[in-house]
Amino acid sequence: MSAMFSQNPLMNGPNYSFNQAPSTAAAGNKEHGFYPYTDNGGSTLAISGSDFTIVAGDTRSTSGYNINTRYSPKVFKIGGTTSSQDDATLVLSVVGFAADGEALKERLDAIVKMYRYQHGKPMSVKACAQRLSTILYGKRFFPYYVTAILGGLDEEGNGAVYSYDPVGSYEREQCRAAGAAASLIMPFLDNQVNYKNQYIPGSGVGHALVEREKIPLGRTEVEDVVKDAFDSAVERHIEVGDGLQMFVITKSGIEEKYLPLKRD
Amino acid sequence: MFIARSEYDRGINTFSPEGRLFQVEYSLEAIKLGSTAIGVATGGGVVLGVEKRVTSSLLETSSVEKIVEIDRHIGCAMSGLQADARSMVEHARVESQNHAFHYNEPLRVESCTQAICDLALRFGEGADGEESIMSRPFGVALLIAGYDEDGPQLYHAEPSGTFYRYDAKAIGSGSEGAQAELQNEFHKSLTIEEAETLVLKTLKQVMEEKLDSKNVQLASVTKERGFRIYTDAEMAVVVERLPAN
Repeated sequence: MSAMFSQNPLMNGPNYSFNQAPSTAAAGNKEHGFYPYTDNGGSTLAISGSDFTIVAGDTRSTSGYNINTRYSPKVFKIGGTTSSQDDATLVLSVVGFAADGEALKERLDAIVKMYRYQHGKPMSVKACAQRLSTILYGKRFFPYYVTAILGGLDEEGNGAVYSYDPVGSYEREQCRAAGAAASLIMPFLDNQVNYKNQYIPGSGVGHALVEREKIPLGRTEVEDVVKDAFDSAVERHIEVGDGLQMFVITKSGIEEKYLPLKRD
Repeated sequence: MFIARSEYDRGINTFSPEGRLFQVEYSLEAIKLGSTAIGVATGGGVVLGVEKRVTSSLLETSSVEKIVEIDRHIGCAMSGLQADARSMVEHARVESQNHAFHYNEPLRVESCTQAICDLALRFGEGADGEESIMSRPFGVALLIAGYDEDGPQLYHAEPSGTFYRYDAKAIGSGSEGAQAELQNEFHKSLTIEEAETLVLKTLKQVMEEKLDSKNVQLASVTKERGFRIYTDAEMAVVVERLPAN
């Protein structure tokens, strides 16, 4: 898909700068094209706990090798009743093409607000998850070029994370990383959150090995995992950095945290 | 009401100088000609009951459908012009399925009622560019029964587009007498069985024909079983239970 929506069809793949995209074909004929998408880089991450959910994202926005800004949030509160959204219960993160992400956020927010008026109750994370899926699929043939993650608390008060592809296929998960550094962060989460490939030493050989017992992580541990994940991603990916924005969703509200990341 | 008959009777979207919409008021009269329908809400569920006017011994009574399903958890009983109710019920069904599709949850009973009432004033010429479906107001009232996260609920929707929630409500030709009876007999601790009996007992009092298991129909909405129209066998059991007089 990245090749299909690349700014540079002639190079047949993702590229890092507007300037590199040739506008003429080799034969000298003028080629016209329609390139509606840009990859603005960045990464997002969400982890659910027993009574909380953390949704995080870096704040860098890039175009190729350029940094557009060091502070462009990718994580948003959704469906609050005030202008500051301080009573919201849902959080949406979007990474990919920033303009589509912004448009998607605005649309979902409006829908969640209308839902409260029409049905006289706040939208549950389960309902919002399904609605976000239908919004994305509604643009199946001109998609919002974003990977979305929705966070909140379910009807029992447990943390809930829903992850999406750009056309609305979704799944509830324990944790998910998305965006430029998803391939760097996700294996780390598999290991540190779901204890994948962690066995009790000396418990056996090969298939006889006993997996390390899964215990639900506490809030401070999860915050540390998020920080470590981003610090590592910043080291290895040029499109990730500048700042880390974290939303912690609990039954008493949503807490926002901002931490600086390396700006190189 | 009929003394004020005037040119304002005709324009269906025209206020009379006294500030009335005659055609809407007359549509409420149309309901008073309809067969009686009763709804009773209890803590365990809602019971709906209607009389079927069996005008001929050759009439197949099962073809008289005055109680219909909207969704698994919502049903309604009607009184008035039945054909008008079809487009309302169709709209409610679409609205309910759309909600389930978009939000992965059942539509609330109040939202469903509101959706039906949104149709009520879409008659007349309509605003520029907006198409209207009806040339006149609906001539039917609905009793909408359902079960959602707020428990069992009963709503009454009128052609004027207003709706109210009731513990017990009667509509149609026998509604005045039936409502008075419900007022006396209703209490908050009714069981479903008691509500079934109350509905039939009340219908029996206001019906012109002698009540039997063929000329009345019951339905209920409960948490466990959702909306359900009673079978002939179940109807016979409830009718059997009625005190003879």
